[in-house]
Amino acid sequence: MINLSHGSGGKEMDELIKEIRARLKSPGEWKGADDDAAYLGDIVFTTDSFIATPLFFPGGDIGKIAVCGTINDLSVMGAKPIALSLGIVCEEGFLKEQLLKIVDSISKVCEREGVPVVTGDFKVTEKGKLDKIMINTAGVGKMVKPLANSGAKPGDAIIVSGPIAQHSAALLAARFGYSPIESDCGSVKDRIFSVIQDINSAKDPTRGGVAAALNEISEKSNVKIVIDEESVPINSDAKAVLDMLGVDIYSSASEGIFVCTTQNPEAIVRKLSGSAVIGKVESGSGVFLKTRVGVRKIHKPTGKLIPRIC
Amino acid sequence: MCIAYPGRILELRGGTAVVDFSGARKDVNCMLVEAKVGDMVLVHAGFAIRVVDDDYKDK
Amino acid sequence: MITKINEIAREIGREIKIMEVCGTHTSAIARYGIKSVLPKNIRLVSGPGCPVCVTSQHDIDCMIELALQGIHVSTYGDMMRVPGSKSSLDDVRMKGAKIDVVYSADEVKDGVFFGVGFETTAPMTAAALKRQVAVYSVHKLIPPAMKLLVSEKYGIDGFINPGHVSVIIGSDVYKDIAAPQVVSGFEPENILESIYKLLLLIKERRNEVVNNYSPVSNEGNELAKRLISEHFKLCDSEWRGLGKIPQSGLEVKDSKLNAKTIYSDVLKNVKAKENPACNCGDILRGILEPRECRAFGKGCIPERPLGPCMVSGEGACRIVFEND
Repeated sequence: MINLSHGSGGKEMDELIKEIRARLKSPGEWKGADDDAAYLGDIVFTTDSFIATPLFFPGGDIGKIAVCGTINDLSVMGAKPIALSLGIVCEEGFLKEQLLKIVDSISKVCEREGVPVVTGDFKVTEKGKLDKIMINTAGVGKMVKPLANSGAKPGDAIIVSGPIAQHSAALLAARFGYSPIESDCGSVKDRIFSVIQDINSAKDPTRGGVAAALNEISEKSNVKIVIDEESVPINSDAKAVLDMLGVDIYSSASEGIFVCTTQNPEAIVRKLSGSAVIGKVESGSGVFLKTRVGVRKIHKPTGKLIPRIC
Repeated sequence: MCIAYPGRILELRGGTAVVDFSGARKDVNCMLVEAKVGDMVLVHAGFAIRVVDDDYKDK
Repeated sequence: MITKINEIAREIGREIKIMEVCGTHTSAIARYGIKSVLPKNIRLVSGPGCPVCVTSQHDIDCMIELALQGIHVSTYGDMMRVPGSKSSLDDVRMKGAKIDVVYSADEVKDGVFFGVGFETTAPMTAAALKRQVAVYSVHKLIPPAMKLLVSEKYGIDGFINPGHVSVIIGSDVYKDIAAPQVVSGFEPENILESIYKLLLLIKERRNEVVNNYSPVSNEGNELAKRLISEHFKLCDSEWRGLGKIPQSGLEVKDSKLNAKTIYSDVLKNVKAKENPACNCGDILRGILEPRECRAFGKGCIPERPLGPCMVSGEGACRIVFEND
């Protein structure tokens, strides 16, 4: 039986996706099938689906996240997004007003980023057969510089483009009665392209957070990654909410930043305000965290993150 | 057991305080402590359990 | 501090077994990588201070039964994935049962609240009882469990006592436990200092209680203690892995608010079935370390836990699995 942990970006999801891929058989000439996007020559292609968790949150909504998510997947692959498709399935009874609000949100992003929605689909299910709405976006891009997750090399520095865990903190703050925290939901396109020539690999730490992203890079590149806890930027209110709810900040999602590896950290930190060097790549394996007093391993997150108090 | 987190009381109305945790604010039940506005409190599961000094973590 | 710890560990020479009683300490120790800087002859074992871990399978089965009967149930998130005999609260919620995860007992307005935890959370449950919310209480007390561990001679040289339980009960209550103890806070520097102070007591064979966490006073929080005694009475309690410990639990005083009484008809047919492959009991007593359990990492992983030690964010096995 498929359960919620299969969708939460951790180990169980990886295993299931491997199984599905195996049955779909080889993608022929297409490369990067297990990266953030697939590419053939300089055509890059990716897709993502989004469900209501919640629909509207401080800093965005399901529409904004749906298009930024796909624009970001293309961008961290090193491709300039050209166009998007938009598939919407609504549950019967969904308010038209809310639907149009979401569409307006999508439109704003597309206009600002210069990436149009050129094709789409719309369906309605009977009440009770879907939780409000499901949005799928697919994106096509033109490769500028391939940034595979396998591109990290010993000696590289690891940079994060902004404070981590912000999106999870925003959702949890809303759910547990804290004053609003804004999600970082947004496009990384312009920021990543301003420094792309200096980057070897990049990833957006969405589901599973920085822990999942760095483990992915570490595995695909066959390297060891060491992060210095004191260098990791996180907003104090976001950290407070996550710590109070017993949720691991490294496994918490961001929706508007990227992590990358580079041989030229100074150039990147100079150009990208809010970015920081958080660690380095070494030979070996695994992802480790240097804390104020010791060292521990950062594992790929497993299962749902349920807040705890004990 | 028990994650307890420090926060500062911004407002106090009856037994409920608005507490600031490094920028995140939340209502906290203060029936277990004798506290006033401006106090720093340790909060566990939505309740203040102790009034503490600002530097209590170092002591 | 690490140098001082190394020095005194060397002076003591033999293997030293220190138990951190409280699950949040186990968590903090793992989170900050404290074991990576301790000398090899210091063994830190985690104790029964993880409320999720020590809640009996029977009690979890009872809460699941209430939910299956259509009763609105509320609980802290920690309890959702703990396996009962056949399923968990999380499984049952996926099938449609009305189960709410709350951060604070104050959020519970109706139905039955699963009163889990030690003396730190008992006052919050008492506050819910004061508002006439029905409760299924599995609250337990730390000192009786510590006394049992000392009397059963599991070779524990000293204890790191809970921080926030102690804020409520005070440090004086630990004085009649015959072992070296240090009440500790949660910052890594404070924990290291507490370990150092504990090693001093162990070296000098002093069965004393040292308070190293400033929010803890000798008597604790009188308001909280009073609220607890208003709404709860002492009872014997079944601790998963430790068995029944007399006078170690809190039972709801008012039978009109006690879910065990209100729903006794529904609950009398609940029969727990222990999983023979699960060794959580030995883990909780500090006899077995996670990696020494035959099921660890094989039949028992976070996605498919056999017992609570692998489910709880503060379970010893879960922490070892995720951090080493």
